[in-house]
Amino acid sequence: MERSEPDPADDDVMDSFLEKFQSQPYRRGFHEDKWEEEFDKIPLFMKKAPSEIDPKENPDLACLQSIIFDDERSPEEQAKTYKDEGNDYFKEKDYKKAVISYTEGLRKKCADLDLNAVLYTNRAAAQYYQGNFRSALNDVLAARKLNPCHLKAIIRGALCHLELKHFAEAVNWCDEGLQIDAKEKKLLEMRAKADKLKRMEERDVRKAKLKAKKEQNQSETLLQAIKTRNIKLVAEAVSVDEDSILDGPSQIFLDGLSSENPCGARLSLDDQGRLSWPVLFLYPEYAQSDFISAFHEDSRFIDHLVVMFSEAPPWDVERKYSSEHLEVYFEDEDRAELYQVPPNSTLLQVLQHPRYSVKALTPAFLVCVGSSPFCKNYLQGKKVHR
Amino acid sequence: MSGLGAGSGSLEAVAEAEAAELLPFLRPGTRTDLQAAAAQHVLALTGAGPGRWLLARQAALVRAVAELAATPAPAPSRDAGRALVNLAAEPGLHELLLAADPELPGRLLDCALDPLWPWAEEAAAALANLSREPVACAAVMGKLAAAEPGQPDLERLVHALCTPSYNAGARLHYLGPLLSNLSQRAEVRAFLLDPDRCVVQRLLPLTQYTDSSVRRGGVVGTLRNCCFEHRHHKWLLGPQVDILPFLLLPLAGPEEFSEEEMDQLPVDLQYLSPDKQRESDADIRKMLIEAIMLLTATAPGRKQVRDQGSYLILRELHSWEPEPDVQVACEKLIQVLIGDEPEHGLENLLEVQVPEDVEQQLQRLDQRERELAQQLRGEGASPT
Repeated sequence: MERSEPDPADDDVMDSFLEKFQSQPYRRGFHEDKWEEEFDKIPLFMKKAPSEIDPKENPDLACLQSIIFDDERSPEEQAKTYKDEGNDYFKEKDYKKAVISYTEGLRKKCADLDLNAVLYTNRAAAQYYQGNFRSALNDVLAARKLNPCHLKAIIRGALCHLELKHFAEAVNWCDEGLQIDAKEKKLLEMRAKADKLKRMEERDVRKAKLKAKKEQNQSETLLQAIKTRNIKLVAEAVSVDEDSILDGPSQIFLDGLSSENPCGARLSLDDQGRLSWPVLFLYPEYAQSDFISAFHEDSRFIDHLVVMFSEAPPWDVERKYSSEHLEVYFEDEDRAELYQVPPNSTLLQVLQHPRYSVKALTPAFLVCVGSSPFCKNYLQGKKVHR
Repeated sequence: MSGLGAGSGSLEAVAEAEAAELLPFLRPGTRTDLQAAAAQHVLALTGAGPGRWLLARQAALVRAVAELAATPAPAPSRDAGRALVNLAAEPGLHELLLAADPELPGRLLDCALDPLWPWAEEAAAALANLSREPVACAAVMGKLAAAEPGQPDLERLVHALCTPSYNAGARLHYLGPLLSNLSQRAEVRAFLLDPDRCVVQRLLPLTQYTDSSVRRGGVVGTLRNCCFEHRHHKWLLGPQVDILPFLLLPLAGPEEFSEEEMDQLPVDLQYLSPDKQRESDADIRKMLIEAIMLLTATAPGRKQVRDQGSYLILRELHSWEPEPDVQVACEKLIQVLIGDEPEHGLENLLEVQVPEDVEQQLQRLDQRERELAQQLRGEGASPT
């Protein structure tokens, strides 16, 4: 190899360059106090890329970026770059950005089917970790269209179905995956889990069905009991004609029978086939009420009144509400007439009165002190049957 | 075999000659209608024992029929296939058949597991019959084990059995008994019970397969054979497989249990609908009980079977069970569940060494029990 003679001119240039620093400080070096910051701005030494690349702040980085994402490269190369970018975001758990990258990669519509399948599958994973299980499932289906044997897509699909509680589907997907790789551990685990959850769900369905059936039976029995006693029921709903008398079981009543009224009580049948009703006593004088949760149909009004008014209620300021002075009435709403109830009649006797209708499955009665001025006033102007 | 007198020799010879005459008409290239007629004739012959023996002794005839059974339409492959089923049903003939056509197991497997072959069920039935005897079973297994990729193997067999839509034109119920017979071999059980795969788990739902008692019986038989592998009991009873509920479910009826009892039962047996029906086939019920009995061989297995409320199901079964020998099996299992734990050294009942004189005594007792059961069946039992 020929060694050229060092050019004396070069030496001079070098010397003069070096001599410069005797008088002028080197300006293009790092600043003493800011050197770490400046260090981090050089692309080669960056530990972490900035999330947005501002060409003014980081011209070198922007330059590199434009090289990688240059539109003149083939779609396959571009798509691959987007895939890698997406994967990087994914590793940092920035799933939103990962989805965007993968989407850009798919938009290149490159001819590499496997690459596209991977892009779909990876996007599905990013969607999955954001909780967008249906979107993830769509992507996985797209991936499988391109590559039916893509195991990662199948695993992701099974995971999605698990999250969406489609347990049978999850098992099916696991089985399909196991056809491709019979020993895939994740699929084996998932299949066992999904199968167990599926069977538990089936049990819950059976349990609910049985419970509903039981309640239906109970309601029908109750309705039958009411019917045989010839007690009239009236629905709360405005649409139903107030005068309607039931011939056969109607769903409104069945529903009403199985649900509890706001006070938590409901009509019940005891072992001897006797009914107990939730009953309201209304005291119009003081706008008060009492609720009896289970008034046995064979018990008499007076028996309840004696117990209830053994002590004067707080609202009874005149201390006049004692059982021997009380009068009980029910209202025939159609004709706006009142009927007096003899205190020693049983509930059943009153309910069976031809003009009595039970409203909202809760018989209601008006109670006041017979001899009181209020009572006389209240009854005046109304037709009263005794 | 025919028990005719002096003239039988010549009669047989005539029959054999006649059968041999069929051969040219079964060969490929023959006119289709002639082929069909010959195949029908062969099928008719296989309808009876003597006919089957007659045919089986003519190796060339067997081979022609076997090849015809695998030939696509318009060849009379269905009748040829059915003839093979009948031939294979005769236990003494297996050696003759295999000698005449060593490729028979392979060809039958290819047909049975071909999703597009219309007569796959016939092929499966022939295989099921063949695999009953150990030698033929080994031959079938040999073909399955030697499979190259794409060739029928055990995995394909299990897959076909577990996938109802595997073959749109054929039901393939007879794959059940085929697998059951194959599971008498250790290597098949090893495949089915491979903990790194999911094989036996896929068979479990088939214990409830209502469409076919043949398939159901085959699967239950397979599971029962698998339960002989006591080293796998822990895994079988554990969450990876959870075999017990699938064995108990067909034995459970519509009886209601209290909340407490319900909580003991496995999930699959809770809140069963009032129209739950028990397994209708008594033989299958017996196999299910036998399978559970096998699972109680080890102490931990017994505990698990007890803890999962098996007693409740068996108790109800016992009061319902119409078949005496099934009832006896049920009783024995109940005794194991409610009895005391055996002494030290007897923890694994499958491995206990029974002294010879005790063994003989037990066999005598078993024999007496069988006779008793038969008597009961003759006396009062109504026809099923």
